[in-house]
Amino acid sequence: MELTLNEKRLLVVLEEAGSADVVVLAEKMDTRREAVVQYANLAGEKGLVDVEKHVSRRYIPTEEGRAYMGKGLPERQVLESFEGEIPMRDLQSHPLAKIAIGWMRKKGWIAIRDGIVQKTDTTAPGPDEAAFARLTESGAIAAGEGVSDLVKRGLAVEEERVTHTVSITPRGRELVAGGFDLREEVGTLTREQILSGEWKDLPLRRYDVTKLPRRTYPGKTHPYQRLLDEMRRILFDMGFEEMAGGIVQSSFWNFDALFQPQDHPAREMQDTFFLGERWPLPAGYERVRDMHEHGGETSSTGWGGTWSAAKAEQCVLRTHTTSLSIQHLAGHLKPPVKAFCIGRVYRREAIDPTHLAEFEQLEGIVMDEGVNFRHLLGFLKEFYGNMGFEKVRFRPGYFPYTEPSVEPEVYVDGLGWVELGGAGIFRQEVTAPFGIEHPVLAWGLGISRVAMLQLGLRDLRQLYKSDVEWVRETPTYSGRR
Amino acid sequence: MAIITLPYRYLERLTETDRQTIIDRVPMIGADIERIEEDHVDVEFFPDRPDLYSPEGVARAMRGFLGIEEGLPVYGVCPSGITFSVDPGLAGIRPHLASAVIRNVDLDEEAIGSLMALQEALHWAVGRGRGKVAIGVHNLDAVTPPFRYIASPRERSFVPLDFEREMTMEEILTDHPKGRDYARLVENFDKFPLIVDADDQVLSFPPIINGELTKVTTATKNILLDCTGTDKRAVMIATNIICTALAEAGATIESVTVEGEEVPTLAPAERVVAVAECASLLGLSLTADEMVRLLRRMRFGAEPDGDSRVRVLVPCYRSDILHDWDVFEDAAIAYGFENFDAALPATSTVAKEHPTTTIARAVRSVMVGQGYIEVMPFTLTNERVLYANMRREPAPETLHLLHPISEEQTVVRTDLLPLLMEMLLANKHRELPQRLFTVGDVVEDCATFQKVATVSIHPSADFSEAYAAADVLCRELTLPYTVVESADPAFLDGRRGDIVVDGRIVGVFGEIHPAVLRAFDLEHPVAALALDLRAVPGYPAPPGTP
Repeated sequence: MELTLNEKRLLVVLEEAGSADVVVLAEKMDTRREAVVQYANLAGEKGLVDVEKHVSRRYIPTEEGRAYMGKGLPERQVLESFEGEIPMRDLQSHPLAKIAIGWMRKKGWIAIRDGIVQKTDTTAPGPDEAAFARLTESGAIAAGEGVSDLVKRGLAVEEERVTHTVSITPRGRELVAGGFDLREEVGTLTREQILSGEWKDLPLRRYDVTKLPRRTYPGKTHPYQRLLDEMRRILFDMGFEEMAGGIVQSSFWNFDALFQPQDHPAREMQDTFFLGERWPLPAGYERVRDMHEHGGETSSTGWGGTWSAAKAEQCVLRTHTTSLSIQHLAGHLKPPVKAFCIGRVYRREAIDPTHLAEFEQLEGIVMDEGVNFRHLLGFLKEFYGNMGFEKVRFRPGYFPYTEPSVEPEVYVDGLGWVELGGAGIFRQEVTAPFGIEHPVLAWGLGISRVAMLQLGLRDLRQLYKSDVEWVRETPTYSGRR
Repeated sequence: MAIITLPYRYLERLTETDRQTIIDRVPMIGADIERIEEDHVDVEFFPDRPDLYSPEGVARAMRGFLGIEEGLPVYGVCPSGITFSVDPGLAGIRPHLASAVIRNVDLDEEAIGSLMALQEALHWAVGRGRGKVAIGVHNLDAVTPPFRYIASPRERSFVPLDFEREMTMEEILTDHPKGRDYARLVENFDKFPLIVDADDQVLSFPPIINGELTKVTTATKNILLDCTGTDKRAVMIATNIICTALAEAGATIESVTVEGEEVPTLAPAERVVAVAECASLLGLSLTADEMVRLLRRMRFGAEPDGDSRVRVLVPCYRSDILHDWDVFEDAAIAYGFENFDAALPATSTVAKEHPTTTIARAVRSVMVGQGYIEVMPFTLTNERVLYANMRREPAPETLHLLHPISEEQTVVRTDLLPLLMEMLLANKHRELPQRLFTVGDVVEDCATFQKVATVSIHPSADFSEAYAAADVLCRELTLPYTVVESADPAFLDGRRGDIVVDGRIVGVFGEIHPAVLRAFDLEHPVAALALDLRAVPGYPAPPGTP
C-alpha cells in the first residue's frame, strides 16, 4: 500500500494514543490542524483510521455585546440609575435611554404616568440577563435559555466549531506493526545524490500519472506561415528559385508590361489601390507602348488606341505577384528560368469573412526552350499533387496575360471540384517587348483559399487578426506531407 | 462578370441537341455554370468572349464544338440604301458610329429580354460601362431615313424612353435614372451627342438614353441599330456581335452607309498561321489537316496553305483573336483540355531561397526558441494605430491610399510594433503571459523591406526582459550592435534603448509607455522590441522598389 510520509507519521502517533483530537495530533506532529485533517482523510480512504467529525455551536458577544459586558444590559443599567420614580424628561438624558426605555416597558419593569416613570415590583433578572452574565464571565457560551434573545438583539452571534477525532483501526495497527520507513521522500534529485549513488537508497516520491500536468504553451510559428512554408518547400523540391519584391509597383509593371489594356476595369480605382506616387518608366518602355498600340513586331494587332505613359507611371499596391515575375524574366533572359514568389497582393475589396483587401498569392513561372502547354499541365498536377490534391482537372480559362489559359480544379472530399488558381502561357505581347524568346509557363493561386480548405477556417480574417488561443491550440504538425 | 441566361427550349432549338449535352460540355469551351434551373441555365462567360453573351452566340459555338455544324458561319449583308451622317463636331466628344438595319425580327417578350441582356452585357464587357461603346436599338418603322448623328445644344428636348413628357438633355442628366447613372460620361462637354432622323425627330441621346418614339416592342418588325463610342474597333465589334446574334435567330442584316462607308460587312478577318508554332506551343504533333479540323470546330474558316501553314478566317464577332496564339488556344480547346497528356520537362534546375526569406526564417527560429508565438497582421492600417496611439510623429515616408475603403485601412504600415499592440488588444481576454512576434514587409516611400517586432505582456514584463530578447536576437543574427538610451516616445524614459549598428539606429526595445498601453486599452506592462532587418549582414540590396 502506497502511503505518504505524513500518513505514516500520523499512524505512528496514533498507534500510541489509539484515538486523539486533531488539535493534539497537530501538536505532536508539529504541523497545522488542516494538514492533519488532510492526512487523516487520506489514511481514512484506505481504511487505516476512522475520522469522526464533531460540529459544535457556541455563542460569542458581538461588538455591542462586548460594550455591555461587566455593566449589564442597558435596561438594567438605566433602571438602576434612579430610585422609585423619575420624570421622563430627566430619564431621557441617560445615554442608554433610547434602547433601555423600550425594553424596561416591554419587560414590565416600569409604568409611565403623566410624564413620570415609576418602577414596578417585577424587576427581577430574566433568563436573558442570566445568559448575558454567563457570557460576561466565560467569553463564550453554549446554547441555553435566554441565549436566543441575545442573538435576536444582536448582542451575541453563533459560531460553528468543527473538531475531528482520529482513531486508528485494527488494519492501521497491523500496518504500523509491520514497520515504516519514516525518512523524508525525495522530490527532485540533487547533484550530490546522483553523483554519490545515494539515490539508490532514497525514498523517491512517486507521481500520480493520472493527474494532468500544468498546461504550458510553446513558442511557435503561425499555422498560416507553416502552410506557406510547406508550399515554399514543395516548390524548392521542384527546383524553383524564390523571387521577392516590392509591394508598391508602377502601373507599368503591374498592368502595362502584362498587356493589360489601359481601359481595363481592373485599372479603375474601384478595384485597385492607387497611390499618389509616380515611378519613371524603365528604358525600352516604348516596346511595351508599341505592343499595346499595334502589336509591335508580333502577329498581334495590339489593343489599338493611344497608350498613355502618364497612366503607366501611376503607382499601385501590386494586385498580383505577376508584376514581379515579368521583372524577374526581363532580368533573366537565359533559359531555363524556374522561379516562384509568395507575397501579399492587394485588391480594393470591402472586408468580410471571405474577402480581404490583402492576401497571399503564390505564383510560379517556367521559361525554357521548348516548354509547352502539356508541361504547364504537368507542373500544375505535380504542384497540386504535392499539396495533397491528388485529383486535378483542367478547363479553359481567361487571364489577360496568358494564352492559352487554364482554370485548374482540384477534388476536395465533401466539396467536390473546387476551382483553385489560374494558369497559362504568357502571351507574346507580354514576353516580346523584353526580349524573352522562349515560352513562359505561369500559374498562380490565392493561398487564402487553400488555407480555408486546409486549416478549416470559415473567416479569412482569422489569419491576420489572430486569436492567440487558436495559434496555441493548432498543432504544429499538420498531418500533411 | 457576364452571367448569361440560357432558356433550354430556345437553346435546344438553336443548337439542335439536348440540354444535358450542352450543360455537360459548355464548361469545356470556357465557362462556369452558375445555376441550373428548371427552364434555364445561368452561365458565366469570360470577358474576352462577348460573342457568347447571347443564346444565339452560345448555340453557334456549341454546334461547332459538338460537331453539329463546323466552319465559318457566313452572314449575307445587302445594302439598305439608308445613310447616316456624322457631325465633325463630335470629334472630341464621341466620334465613332456604326449602324445596321435588321429586318424581319420576330420578337416575343423573352426575345426582347434576351436582346436587352446582350446589350447590357456588351455595355459592360466591350463598352466599359458605355464609355467606350453604347448601343441603341430602334423601331426603324417609326422614323424616316436618312439619319444624322450630331453634336447638339444641351437644351434640345425630347421624350426619353419610359417617360411621357419632353425633357431637355440637361434635365435628363439630373432627373432620369439612366441620366444620373451615366451623366459623368458627357456632362463636361459643351454639346451632347444626339441621333435624329430626316424629320429632326430624336432617336437617341447616346450613351444615355433612347427616345420613347423608337421603342422596340413585340410589334417591332424592323430594327435600326446604332453603336456609338470613342473606339472604332470596339464600336464595330459590338455591331457585329448584335447583328450576327440576330441573324442566327433568323433576321436579315442590311448595311447602312455611314459617312460613305458601308457597315457592317460581317466579313471575316484573314490570318495565316504556322502549324509548327501551334504544335510546339501546345506540345502536340499536328498536321495542317488536323489543325484545320480543330479550328473548324471552333467556327473558324480554315484550310491548309501548303503543308506547314493554315489559312484562317476569323469570324467578325471574335474580338479576342489578337494574335496567332489566340487561334492556337482555340485549337487546344477543340482538342479538349481533358485529352492533353500532362508531362514535366526534362531540364534540371536548382532551387534557391531568397535571402530575405533566409533571414526571416532565422528570425522565426530565434523568436520561437524564446517562447514567442508568431502572428501575421495586415500590412494596411491607419495613422491612429501607427502613430497617434504610439505617441509617435507621423513619418513623412508613409504611403497613403488615394481611395481607401475604410477608415481602418488608409496607409501602408511603416512599422510592425503598433500592429502587435493592436493584436494584444484583440487577445486581451486570453491567458497571460502572451509573447508575440511578427516578421514581414513594411514600406517607406515606395521601398519595401522587412522588419521584426516582438511584444511580451504579463504583470512582470520589464526592460530587462526586452533587453534580453533583443540581445538574443541580435547575437543570433550576428548583428554587431551597441545600445544607447532611446528617445522613442512609445517607450518609457529610462527604460528604453536604441539598437545601433554602424552608427545607425536600426532598432529599439524597452518598456512600452503607460500612455501607449492605455491607448491600446491594455492593463499590464509590455516589453517590446523592433528591428530593421536591413541591418542584418547578407540582406540583399537594393530593396524592392517599383
